[in-house]
Amino acid sequence: MNTVVADITYRAMLGRKRIWLLVLLPVALVAIALLLRLLNGQSEQTAVTLMKTFAIGTMLPLLGLIGGTGVIAPEIEDGTIIHLLSKPISRPVIAVTKFVVAASLIAVFAAVSTFAAAYLLTGMESGVATGFTFGALFGGVAYAAVFLLLGVLTRHAVAIGVIYALVWEGVVGGYVPGARKFSIQQWAQSLADHLSSSAFFSTEVTLGFAVPAMAIVTVGAVLWTGQRLRSLSLTGDD
Amino acid sequence: MTIEPTAVIHDIGYRHYDGVRLGRGRATLALGVQSLRGVFGLGRTIRAKIMPLLLAAIMLMPTVVSIGVMALAKQFVMPYSQYAVFMQAVIAVFLAAQAPYLVAPDLRFRVLPLYLSRPLTVTDYVVAKLAALTVALFCLMAIPITIEFVGEMLIDMPMPLHTGDFLGALGGTVLRAVLLAALGVALASFTPRRGLGVAVVIAFYMFTAAVSGLFYAVLASTGRDDVAPWALLLNPFFLVDAVQSSLFGTEPATGEGYPPGVASCLILLAVIALAVTGVLLRYRKAAS
Repeated sequence: MNTVVADITYRAMLGRKRIWLLVLLPVALVAIALLLRLLNGQSEQTAVTLMKTFAIGTMLPLLGLIGGTGVIAPEIEDGTIIHLLSKPISRPVIAVTKFVVAASLIAVFAAVSTFAAAYLLTGMESGVATGFTFGALFGGVAYAAVFLLLGVLTRHAVAIGVIYALVWEGVVGGYVPGARKFSIQQWAQSLADHLSSSAFFSTEVTLGFAVPAMAIVTVGAVLWTGQRLRSLSLTGDD
Repeated sequence: MTIEPTAVIHDIGYRHYDGVRLGRGRATLALGVQSLRGVFGLGRTIRAKIMPLLLAAIMLMPTVVSIGVMALAKQFVMPYSQYAVFMQAVIAVFLAAQAPYLVAPDLRFRVLPLYLSRPLTVTDYVVAKLAALTVALFCLMAIPITIEFVGEMLIDMPMPLHTGDFLGALGGTVLRAVLLAALGVALASFTPRRGLGVAVVIAFYMFTAAVSGLFYAVLASTGRDDVAPWALLLNPFFLVDAVQSSLFGTEPATGEGYPPGVASCLILLAVIALAVTGVLLRYRKAAS
């Protein structure tokens, strides 16, 4: 963890157009929750649907994508990463710092808006709000690590990340039950399910698989990012 | 005594061009063709070819499966008019991955003035880029259903050919290509960074798809069946499907009804007009 690098990364993330994407999606989530509340009143079933399809299913991967790749991919694209890598800071430390920045941003934006939206729709009833807040928090951290790794592995990090989030987790996971075991969304959902007692909500992946899987993926991705940064080659693309 | 001229442009002997000057139309065509090739990675590095060709291959997979089922089980499983709705995630990824390539590098390296120092105008540039993406998307979506149709003709099924469905699907594909190209270029041209452009386009798709599905489910489950279909139109793919089913009489992909056809057509036209106007305004500003 290097505070100067973290400071620069925070400024780069929050001072650009990227922040609009980071802010717009959570605001949209709360706005939709408000609209649904005005249309339907408080409803636990609506809350669970909104959380599952929008908060965990759409907003979390997108925030992970924007935050996780955003902390490092633009620097690699511009070539300015050289200035960072030529400083006497160990590369794994750089990786950990970038990860902490991405994870903290995603965790704050995702968890706060998820809690607000769920609270608007159900209050604190049967733990839906707390459950999904923790699901979004840990899911967001895992997404941050995976997309950070993709950002240093390939120039097409965003496209590959989108294919994972949309095609693998969305389409393949919908038809092939086994694929759901390897989906961060499902891990986040089973965490949420464990903390809530809602009758409208059940998941397939057990908590005993989801929590270790999430931890292994997160730690593994950050370590691999550090290793990869030790021998990063900057070659021209297109 | 003669006065020495102070500033002279010397003719240093380069050969002049005396050939025919082909003008604006050909310049636009050349830019369009070059952009179209670039969308599929032709004329670019191997790494740039992987993504579009991979996605094009994935688009063909349901065709292969469906021809196999037709040949072995003599059953018709994949209606042509529903192909694009079924594969919408792949089409959206293709759009998100390739639309920023068309516009972002020119903005980022500020080479727009170089294009505009030629007979090409801002409008020509935008038209060439939009046309290139439209044709690329049309190829991506039309080739699989055309192959499937040829397969159906050759296999000689016990039931009559689904010619009407196929032609309707082709018509819908044109509309879908125009809509997606306009939306993709409009969203991608806001940022000179390619990675951010990809994220913006895909965020737009995932957002509209999720919101439309969510509101449809909530409205339908609370008995507001009259307004529920309107929520579907938020998703660009269902919007085109609604227009397609009203103009060409194909089966709606959702199995449910859509709002009246005229409304869907007007919304489609309005969205396309808005997106194209946005691109034109963006480039007027970028060029000045």
